[in-house]
Order: sequence, then structure tokens, then C-alpha cells
Amino acid sequence: MAKTNDVQSHLPLTPAMFQILLALADGEKHGYAILKEVALRTDDKVRLSAGTLYGNLARLESSGLIVESQKRPETRFDDERRRYYRLTEFGREVAVAEANRMDEALGQARAKKLFRKPRLA
Amino acid sequence: MPESKKSLSQRAFRGLLKILPFDFRANFGGEMERVFDEQKRDVEKRGGIVDFARLWWEALTGIFRTAPREHWEILKHDCAYATRMLQKSPWFSITAILTLALGIGANTAIFSVVNSVLLRPLPYPQSQQLIFIREQALKVGADHVPFSVPEIMDYRERNHTLADLAEYHGMAFTLFGHGDPDRIRSGVVSANYFDMFGIRPMLGRTFITADDQPGAPPVLVLSYDYWKNSLGSDPQIVGKTFEMNDKVHTVVGVLPPVPQYPDKVDMYMPTSACPFRSSKMHIEDRDMRMMEVFGRLKPGVTMEQSRADMAAIAGHLQAEYPKSYPENLGFTADASPLQLELTHSARPTLLILLAAAVFVLLIACANVANLTLSRMARRERELSVRTALGAGRSRLLRQLLTESAILAFGGGALGLVFAYESLHLLTQFASRLTPRAHEIRIDAGVLLFALAAAIGTSLIFGTISALFARANLSTGLKEGSSGAGSGLRRNRMRSALIVSQIAFSFMLLIGAGLLIRSLMKMQEVNPGFVPQRVLAMKINFNWAKYKGDDPFADVAKKVLDAVQAEPGVLSAAISSGYPLEAEMITGGPNSNTFQVQGRPMQSGEAPPIASVASASPDYFKTLGIPLLAGRTFADTDDAKAQQVLIVSEHLKKSLWPNSDAVGQRVTFDQGEHWSTIVGVVGDVREFGLDHAPENEMYAPIAQTSNVGTILLRTSMDPAGAMRRMREVIHGVDSQTAITQEMTIGQARLKSLESPRLTATLLGLFAGLALLIAAAGIGGIMALAVSQRVHEIGIRMALGAKRENILGMILGQGTTLAMLGIAIGALGALALTAMIKSLLFQVTPTDPMTFLVVAVVLAATALVASYVPARRAARIDPVEALRGE
Repeated sequence: MAKTNDVQSHLPLTPAMFQILLALADGEKHGYAILKEVALRTDDKVRLSAGTLYGNLARLESSGLIVESQKRPETRFDDERRRYYRLTEFGREVAVAEANRMDEALGQARAKKLFRKPRLA
Repeated sequence: MPESKKSLSQRAFRGLLKILPFDFRANFGGEMERVFDEQKRDVEKRGGIVDFARLWWEALTGIFRTAPREHWEILKHDCAYATRMLQKSPWFSITAILTLALGIGANTAIFSVVNSVLLRPLPYPQSQQLIFIREQALKVGADHVPFSVPEIMDYRERNHTLADLAEYHGMAFTLFGHGDPDRIRSGVVSANYFDMFGIRPMLGRTFITADDQPGAPPVLVLSYDYWKNSLGSDPQIVGKTFEMNDKVHTVVGVLPPVPQYPDKVDMYMPTSACPFRSSKMHIEDRDMRMMEVFGRLKPGVTMEQSRADMAAIAGHLQAEYPKSYPENLGFTADASPLQLELTHSARPTLLILLAAAVFVLLIACANVANLTLSRMARRERELSVRTALGAGRSRLLRQLLTESAILAFGGGALGLVFAYESLHLLTQFASRLTPRAHEIRIDAGVLLFALAAAIGTSLIFGTISALFARANLSTGLKEGSSGAGSGLRRNRMRSALIVSQIAFSFMLLIGAGLLIRSLMKMQEVNPGFVPQRVLAMKINFNWAKYKGDDPFADVAKKVLDAVQAEPGVLSAAISSGYPLEAEMITGGPNSNTFQVQGRPMQSGEAPPIASVASASPDYFKTLGIPLLAGRTFADTDDAKAQQVLIVSEHLKKSLWPNSDAVGQRVTFDQGEHWSTIVGVVGDVREFGLDHAPENEMYAPIAQTSNVGTILLRTSMDPAGAMRRMREVIHGVDSQTAITQEMTIGQARLKSLESPRLTATLLGLFAGLALLIAAAGIGGIMALAVSQRVHEIGIRMALGAKRENILGMILGQGTTLAMLGIAIGALGALALTAMIKSLLFQVTPTDPMTFLVVAVVLAATALVASYVPARRAARIDPVEALRGE
């Protein structure tokens, strides 16, 4: 897939993609760590399986939002078979744009008083 | 972890990964397994069965959701890549697509006919319940005898297997009130006819019981074609009237387009409106048989049950009316599915054409596979480099299959266009074979067939090329682009493909050759008459005007005298029909049983039968039929004179092989009336050039009044003569309908149209096959030469002459051709029995045809190899060796 640097063309992200980018926001991680982090952070609301995780990683990688990291943690923590992923600058821009988009939507919902408590009939 | 130590879950998960594309698996498979392991370990720590089930559920849905997306991504990528590669070699792409388009197009076109005519059910509700019933006199070889009115009543009342039974007979009447008197063909049917078929009218109504009662006001239902073509699709037609048979008929409805059988007619009328069918004589006489009978099976009744039912009724009738069903006739009744009845004459021809089209497609596949292999030889480096760069082997195979699929779908789409364009021609062709021809169209079934043909094609030639690419990939880089070992193997494969192409072409050419030889034999066969300069005009007097004992004799004589008096008319005659008339060919001979005086029948012995025609005195002179003994008819052989007959040579030889026929007496009605044979004439092939002469008898027209045709031998040009004769005939009686005019030569040509078209189509397929095969041989020899430049250079350096090199390459091409011819000959010997029913005076193993086809094919192979052979012979040894 051709890498498109136009941030907008990647929006909106799927929830799984957004969560993966978020998981990588504070440093590189391997697949299982991403999966665990997402589950923990969302209180098990977003659950990734091996299939969806790597399908999304492949897609994010081919669009240049993440890259496989060449740097490895110290050898005693490292496992040869594991691949680590890191957010690219472009990936960060896309994640920010997605967060802004959601923020904007949230603001509009507030302005419309969407969240007021339902009155009892 | 070794495989044996893995848990069941782990092995199951690994198995599940197999549905992912190879590349994806290679890239992420290990990681995914590891993630799954870790998830499993977490779950096991917690120990809940629910968590374990949830883990598996998520793993399953995750992979099943990811797999199609990943496959789609790869397909998109492969298509883009394949398109780029095909654009790089436009000649290859165009040749391959065109070859496949011809193959798929031929198949799709023929299949659209097979589908519409043979496969689709008839366009009636529960059409599998519809049957055609016939009486038979098996001992005299009559397998289709019509029904009489009393018989129809009996079968209607006595059967246990039919929900309904309807009758039909065809009649020609003269129609007035719409311009020139027009002879129309009418189907006379029982009132339940359309309801039984389940045909709903397009306009108005069909018949109701009241229409069929004696004395009911005459009504008509028009056929779709007549309403459309002769009445300009008049939407207000219902309620309008036509004058016919001295009666005013009111149109009550118009039919939708439905197949018409046994005749294509212009309109339908109920039995009460037909002056013949409603006569007392017809209603009461068990032996006046002229009706066809159709039935609809009761739900749940099988064809076999109904056939037994019909035969049982026939048995009872025979016991009750021994006079009507003499034992020596072998009388019975039988039924067959209507669909079979409508299509049986088309079946062999269509299936043969379909088989031929499949052969063409196979040849096209072999050819494109060969093209692909040659191209692969040039692409070997590209493919090897890609392998070295990490493209998985199955990934490359997938890529190659995608390329072949793109070619096949391109070919399929173009083929569909070819098929669509040829549909009109094919419909015309099929209409000679079946009344269902107008139903031929390209429907979903045909589109599916074309799609299947394209997929099958891409699988066949894609797999062949992919298999060989696979064998070569590992060696490509090591050995360079003309790798010896793999090259040899691939050349063997290419040679095998060429041999199979030649073998299939041979079989097709034999099929076409046999049909063409048959056609030639038919054209050469002596028809028994001289067709040159003879005109035939079908005439119909307004019979309602000529009532009395001798309805037509008078006016017929007047017309004949007027025609004969015209300058340029050498001789003229009036007869019931003429040789090779379309209706005679489809209807075949009429079978009349008779007895010879002084030759009593043994009980159980089958009586002789003959077809009887009517003729005026100059009939034989006009047609050039030779008189072999006795005399022809004279004007004195009229209604008041002794009844006389002239018989054909065939009849004379079968009944009186060693004695005179002239002077013998025969009877058609158990001795009530006797006729004397006064002459013997030569045999005539009246019922088709391929129809061997049968027993024929001629009765004087003045004694039968069976007037249908005016024949004249003329020195004028045919078109001018026809115009003039119209005026002359209308001068005698302006109410005479002239429905058909043609020369006997035209009738003869027309009778050959169907075999000619079949031969042409098969010849076209065979020619196509020959062309493709020739291109294949040329191509492979050229490739072989280009791969052997070095070797040829060495040979020449060592003293080989140019003639030797030329001979060597030609020899190789010819060897392949000979091998193909040998295999094709074996195949042809096994297959040509299939087309036996279409052959005339040619055996399916006709040595002449085999010889000619072998020579043609060998010569083609020689010519095709000549160009590359000449190039090989011109190789400069110095250049060739330096080039290495």
C-alpha cells in the first residue's frame, strides 16, 4: 500500500487501531504487551486477539504509522523471537488528529446537552 | 518447542493460522502463536472454563476476520503487478486473450443454444408433466400414427394417468379481407388445449368450452408472430373479424411467444370451427386419423406408468375394434415427454457442436500454456530474483495464477461479446432443428458457464505454467536463463502440449471432414429428377367456393391449361406436392397400407405400405422422372374412369422382383375399391437427399383432387416466370392463394441448409483449431531454434550444411506433428461413431477423410516449422559462437 502522508486520509481510525497507537505512545512494545496494555487500560472493554492484533499491526506498519523497532531492551529481558513496534512521528500525528476529532465530537455532544440526565416521566 | 511437546490447543491454533495468506503467516505466524501461548497461560492461571472458551472464541473470530482482508490485499497487489507485467509484453497478452476469447466465445455461444433448447424446462408451468402421445403400427414400421376423433374420445375417457388430454391438427385455409388472399396455417385444437399447457393469453382470452360446441360462433386465437408480423402488433385486434371458409371469425385473443409443435402456425381455432374436423364423417370414423394428442400427467404419475396406461388402452381398443386395428399391423400407443419430442432432432447436432467447442477451448488452453511457458523462459531471472529477495514460492505461484486469471477473464469477457454477436446466426441455425430456437438467449446460466469456462481455463493453463515455474525457480539463478536441465524438461512439456493440440485439431478436422464429405455425397446423389428450370408454386383454392362432387378438378384443369398456354412454358403439371418440399422433408412419407390382388395375407404378416402422391399427366415429364414401363397418366384417367396408379421402381422391385407390375391391381380399403397399376417410374428422393427412396405410388390428380402445387419447366428466367404465373393463376380465379414460389433447384439447396450449416460450424471450429495449432508449432520451433543457436553454430562449424540444419528443424516439427496425428487418429476412431447419425454414405472411419486430414495437418506443421527452420539454417556459425 502506498504510504500516504495525508493525516486526514487515515481518519477515522478503527477503535483497535487507535488503541494500538495509544499503547505505543509511551514507548515501544511487543505484541503481547500491546494486547495486555490495551486490555488493562480499557478495563477489558477493548480486547484484541492474536489475529486482529497482527492484522492491524500489518496495516499500521504498511501505512507508516508504526515501524518495527531495531533497538532492543537489555538482553536479559529480551526474547529473540519477539518483535517490538514503535510509533512513528507520522503515526503520532495521526493518533493526535484522531484524538482531536473525538474531542471535537465530544464537545459538540456537550454543547447539545446530550448528556443531561433523563427526566422521569 | 518441538512439535511433539506442543499442547493440543497450540497445535489447533497453528492449524487455524493456515487460512491466513502464506506471506502473512510467514511474517507474523510465530509471533501470533507466542501471543496465543501467553494469553493461554494467563487464562490457565485464573483457571476458569469461561475464560478459556472466551480466549478461543476471540482467537477464532479474530483470524476469520483478518484472513479475508489479508487475502484481498494480496489479490489487489497481485492484480496491479500482473497488469503491469502483461502491459510489458502486449503481444503475448493480446494473443493469449484473443485465443482464449475464441475458445470461450465458441463454447459460450454453443452452450447458450444447448442451455435454451436442451436444458431449460419448456416455458409452461410444471412442464415436465406434459407428454406427447402417438399411436404406432410397429409391424409396418410406422412409429407415429395420428389419432381419429373416436380414438381421442376413448383415450380421454379410459386413461388413469392423465390430468388432461388435448388434441391438435394443422390446416391451411385461405384468409380474405386483408389485401391479397392469404393462405394461413391454422392449428385446430380442443378448447382445453391452452389451459392444459398453462398458456395465458397476452391479449384477450384463449378458448372456453362453449367455443368448441357444434354451431358455436367461430373464434380465433392468434399466434404472437402472426400478430406481430402480419398485423403490426395491433393492440385493438381482439374483437376484429376475418373471413375464412365462408364464415366470419372473431379474434378473441393473442398468445405470448411460445414454442409451436408440431407445426408453426399463424392462428388457432377450436375443433368446431374446422370444416373437416367438425364433419360427421370425421367425428364418427375411427379410421380417419389426423389429430395429434398431447397430455398432462396427473401429479405423482411417472412417464412409465402413463406409457403402460396408453399401451393398455390400445390393447383394449384392438380387441373391441379388430377391423380398425388389424393384427398384422402391430398396433399400439406410446407416450414421450414433450420436451424430448421438441428437441430430439436437435440433440445430436448440438451436443456434437458443444464437444467440438470444448475441443477448441482445450486447444486454446494448451496454446496459451505454451505461450506462458515460453514467456516464463524469458522471465526466469525476474522470478528467481524475486525468490532470492524472499518471495515465498507459493507466493510466486499465486502471482502467476493471478496473471493467468486476468488473461482468462479478459478472454472470457471478449468471448462473451463474440457469443452475443453470433446469437442471431445461431438462432437461425437452431430454428431448423427445433421449435424452441426463439427461446435462445444469454441468461444467468450462460453467464455462469462463461465464468466457469474462464476459471477452468485459468486453472488449466495457469497450473501448467506455475508447476513448471516451481520446478525451475531454484535452478534459475544458478544456471542462467537458458538452464539446460530445466529447459529440457520444459521443452518436453511444450512438446507434449503441441502434440495434444495437434491431436485435438486432428479429431476436429476429421469431424468436419466427414460432415463435408457427407454434404458432398448428398449434393452428388441422383435425386431421380432434373431440378433445372423447374418452378414450383404452392396454390390453395378457396375450397368453400367449389362445393360438389368434384371440387377442384375443373378449376385445376383451367389453371393448368392457362399456364401451359403461356409462351416459354415447356411443360406444366399439377400435383399434391413436389420433391424436397420443406413440409415433405419434415413430415416424411405418408404410410398407406394396401393389398395386392391374388396375394392373400398370411395371418400376422405385415401388409406392404407406400407413400401416395397425386399428379397430373405431365408431372413426370416436367420433373424429368423417367418412365420405366407401361404408360404415364392421360387426361382420360378422370374421376369417372377406372382408378389407376403409377408405382416407383423401388416398389416394383420389392413386390414384383421378377414379374411385371403393370396390370397388377391393389386395394387400400380391403377390396372395396381396386386400382390398376399402369406404369413404373424411376425412384425419386422426395423426402430429403439423404432419405433413401421408398415405396411410392402416384394417383391421377383428377381421381384424388389433392391439388397443392403447380409445377412448370420453363425457358424463362425464374423471377419473371413467377410474376407472370401469378397473373395467369389469378386470371383464372382471383381468390387463389399462392403461398410459396421457388425453383426445385432452390428447394434442393434449402434441403441441404441444415447439414451445410452444421458442416460449416464444425469446419469453422476445425479451422480455428488448425490455426491455433499452427501458431503453436511455429512458436515452439522458433523458441527451440533461439535456444539452440550455440549448438547449431557448433554443428555448422563442424561441417553441417545448411540443408542439414533446415532438415533437422523441419524434422523435429514434423515428428511432433506425426505423433499428434497418430494420437488424434486413435481418438477420432473412438469418437466419430458419435456423429454417425449425421453422416450420409460416409463411414465414421472413412479412410479418404483420415488421409486428407493427416496430409493437411502434416503440411500445416511443415509450413509452420519452415520459418524458424530457415532462420536456423541462416545462422552464422562465427557469430553464434562469438555470442556465447
